[in-house]
Amino acid sequence: MLDGLISDFTQCFVKNGRWEYLWNGLGVTLEVALAAIFLGLALGFLVAVVRATHDRYGRFRLLDLVAKVYLTVIRGTPMVVQLLITYYIILRSVDSKVLIAIIAFGLNSGAYQAEIIRAGIVSIDPGQMEAARALGLSYWRSMVRIILPQAVRNILPALGNEFIVLMKDTSIVGYIALIDLAKGGDIIRSQTYSVYLPYLTVAAVYLILVMTFTGLLGRLERYLRNTGADPVHNDS
Amino acid sequence: MSETLLKIENLTKSFGELEVLKGLSTEIRKGEVVVMIGPSGGGKSTFLRCMNLLERPTGGSIIFDGIDIVQADEKTKNRVRSEMGMVFQHFNLFPHLTILDNITLAPKLVRGVSAADAEKKARELLKLVGLADKAKAYPQQLSGGQKQRVAIVRSLAMEPKVMLFDEPTSALDPEMVGEVLDVMKDLAKDGMTMVVVTHEMRFARDVATRVLFLEGGRIAAEGTPAAIFDGRHDGRLGEFLGKVRVGTEFRDKVKSELFDILKDREVSEEELARLKDLLAGGAPAT
Repeated sequence: MLDGLISDFTQCFVKNGRWEYLWNGLGVTLEVALAAIFLGLALGFLVAVVRATHDRYGRFRLLDLVAKVYLTVIRGTPMVVQLLITYYIILRSVDSKVLIAIIAFGLNSGAYQAEIIRAGIVSIDPGQMEAARALGLSYWRSMVRIILPQAVRNILPALGNEFIVLMKDTSIVGYIALIDLAKGGDIIRSQTYSVYLPYLTVAAVYLILVMTFTGLLGRLERYLRNTGADPVHNDS
Repeated sequence: MSETLLKIENLTKSFGELEVLKGLSTEIRKGEVVVMIGPSGGGKSTFLRCMNLLERPTGGSIIFDGIDIVQADEKTKNRVRSEMGMVFQHFNLFPHLTILDNITLAPKLVRGVSAADAEKKARELLKLVGLADKAKAYPQQLSGGQKQRVAIVRSLAMEPKVMLFDEPTSALDPEMVGEVLDVMKDLAKDGMTMVVVTHEMRFARDVATRVLFLEGGRIAAEGTPAAIFDGRHDGRLGEFLGKVRVGTEFRDKVKSELFDILKDREVSEEELARLKDLLAGGAPAT
């Protein structure tokens, strides 16, 4: 039994340096996920502010329409299909599959993050914007210095959840033949005809990634709470 | 007569179908303390919020510094707002910033004051309102009265030409009303131009240089505190003042009853102090 496990392990990870499929794949997974998160954040903030400003003050009518179409299309179609369309149609001339994946996942995550951030903005007492404006701050400065910092604290758990979903969703990049962690495990399976070790190892690595990330997020939330600036339990 | 700071002419404001202000005209002169009283829904707060354009007037004009700010561009409006302080009923302190940062944010961002100068000024002002030790605290660590005093300081840090107060004591526990009104009285004494919406009739009588009675979106009566509070009035003003008087009379009656009941009982110093504080808050002294 033990002998079988050891030989299976050797076959899957040691022989021909197969561990590199997982190691390099992990690198691709992290690269795509992290870059897409930041692209999504940038897009999300932009779309959220446009939507929230339109809804409260009636400005940006055209931009708001563009944002709504974007949200509807992205949230209304499957991620895999979006990835394939980006790869085969929109960015056909781009060579880097990593870059294509980053853009596809960033565009996708941006839509979900936008709605989370918008909910955060709307949740802030209008009195905060009024107080900032009454002091002479412009609308944008009030948004950046007063509203968004509070909104982000309120939505940190939801945003963290979206990051976790995005990280796991990147496991479909095999569809465009990009070798990430999941695809790396799949390649090992196809070479060794061993199913248990490659897939279970891949699953374990994703689990560790998510748990690490969740832990970091929890610490960030606790840190923000301990600075005394927790807007959730506060009515000033 | 001192110079005019704000000249408001025929100001109107509608929310959809609802006409809240029906053409108000008045002038706010330098050093005046104008107190607006009147029934809820009479347009007091909306009128005040129009003065610094937190509400966009539907019609009319507001002349400030020689320009009609109703028609001004966004940049001018921002500058005008930075020259008018505003204190809100619910304080609206920024919960994610320390007291010090609440106060120094606008001077630094809007006026370009250096961090060191802004902090120095903020600490001086905090000392004036007795909150020097709270500089590094966050808003939710403060009581309502302390929050409102910080909110006043936050506005003062911008060295405004006029201070607008929108029911500054209405959200406070009774025992905290006094400390806020005291700060406002000191401000008035120092010559600050103030426009105050309040239900504190005692404050209006003692501090105001002029009282406006707003009712149904119009200035229904206007005059010195003595003329408003001591004169005989018919119509809505008489009715309103009657109700207010009944309110304060009721409070005074409770007060004397309470002291009667407690006369022969053991009451600790602390309990007595608490009662006194509670009854003193904003109520007319007997």
